[in-house]
Amino acid sequence: MNVIEIQNLSFAYEKEPVLEHINLIVEERDFLAIIGPNGGGKSTLLKLMLGINKAKEGSIKILGKDPKDSLREIGYVPQNTNVNTDFPIKVIEVVLMGHVDGKRPLFGYGKDEIACAMGALEQVGMQEYAQTKIGSLSGGQRQRVMIARALCAHPKILILDEPTSSIDITGQRNIYELLKVLNAHITIIVVSHDISVILEYANKAAHVNKTLSYHDISDKNSTFHTHGNDGHFCEIELLQMLGSESCNSCEEEQPQWRLKP
Amino acid sequence: MIESIMEALQFDFMQHALLAGILVSFAAGIIGSLIVVNRMVFLAGGIAHTSYGGIGLAVYFGLPIFLGASLFAVGAALLIAALTLKKRHRMDTFIGLIWAVGMAIGVIFVDLTPGYNVDLMSYLFGSILAVSTSDIYFMVVLLVVILFIVTLRYRDILAVSYDSEYAGLRGVNVRFFYTLILILSALTVVIAIKVVGLILVIAMLTIPVYIAESLSKSLLSMMFISGTIATLFTLVGLWFSYTYDLTSGASIILVSALSLGLFLLIKKKVTS
Repeated sequence: MNVIEIQNLSFAYEKEPVLEHINLIVEERDFLAIIGPNGGGKSTLLKLMLGINKAKEGSIKILGKDPKDSLREIGYVPQNTNVNTDFPIKVIEVVLMGHVDGKRPLFGYGKDEIACAMGALEQVGMQEYAQTKIGSLSGGQRQRVMIARALCAHPKILILDEPTSSIDITGQRNIYELLKVLNAHITIIVVSHDISVILEYANKAAHVNKTLSYHDISDKNSTFHTHGNDGHFCEIELLQMLGSESCNSCEEEQPQWRLKP
Repeated sequence: MIESIMEALQFDFMQHALLAGILVSFAAGIIGSLIVVNRMVFLAGGIAHTSYGGIGLAVYFGLPIFLGASLFAVGAALLIAALTLKKRHRMDTFIGLIWAVGMAIGVIFVDLTPGYNVDLMSYLFGSILAVSTSDIYFMVVLLVVILFIVTLRYRDILAVSYDSEYAGLRGVNVRFFYTLILILSALTVVIAIKVVGLILVIAMLTIPVYIAESLSKSLLSMMFISGTIATLFTLVGLWFSYTYDLTSGASIILVSALSLGLFLLIKKKVTS
């Protein structure tokens, strides 16, 4: 089943196009990595999926519906969870924000909402920090809380924007291991720079730089050489295959990736 | 000391001053918390100065000062909300502009009012000893409205303040709550003008909040602690003002600022 269908999508903030003729299909329980250079349109593509920006041309369907009508289906973990750390707010309150407007008590939060939020914190292994001020957590812990907030509404799709950009290597691994577990039930889309790590976990990759080139990498271990014993596989190979696939449709910047390592 | 306080409290104007001080301090603690966490301090300063335009107009047309200042301040808040929701990166320019124009309007209309020499200083630095009974009513109503809104819509206000983009994705009407916070700020600024004056209002909205921020784990406790601290500062400031015959607004602010310095020193000692 296709959870996301993007057809011939183009977008521009002003005149200069940011995304052109994007086609993408995300299937249920995919783990899609969206990679590409800064300013290449990765975050813009996410914002279109979330319905924050509206497409100028083409269409996006989330589970067959318009992004604006599918708020409930998508859990979103924004970039920069390190800003605003002075804000006086407890971990549990942050997670409770994930609930979509529905039945709510006159004052404060409902018992079921709190139980649900605690459940989400348990899923990410942060339940003991529920009453802690968010600012006193480490970057990795805070990221887990943001994932719990996204899980709060029981989404079918989880979208993360640079989830590990400010976390140390061990913390990054932990986050990806967590996502792998979640992936058993949820479709996951991650925008990331850390190509080497993410590609171990993803089964699909999309390279976005104004246009999008897409590759199924689920069989990467059989098809591609890995580095040493740690199962890492080479960035250049990926860029290479993405480059070679897309160079029919797009121009200039691609050829450099075709260099053999 | 207790004797002198009892003596002072025999005067009506002192009772009014005390009551106004407590009401305004609590409102300032709650709304100041929202202003600080939303990084709207400069914005609140702009609204405070702009509201002088309303004071000038009220004087010229013979309307109640509070009414003129409130309407003008709310108008400025709506204008700023509309502009900043559209062009956030130009916000400081717009605020500076509205700030200056508002004050200029106030000065011109006071000039134009025949035979009336308004005491500009009392609006710039406050006149808590001249609080009337109707002023007190106005303050009570505003505080009740603030408590009502903040209690019933706490989670929306919290969501918009903490992460407005995310709140929008969860179906919260961000524009509405952003504008609501600004309107409540404008009204709070207007009543705080009576106590500390429009120049000093920013200190009243920020110093207690700054102290409360490091003492609280949630926005709710921050509001409550700020309100309590602000009340304490106002009462101590008033006492100084009465005893040594000093301007009340300035006394309150200096008491606040000195306390903040002391607090930061102690905090540094404790944490090191």
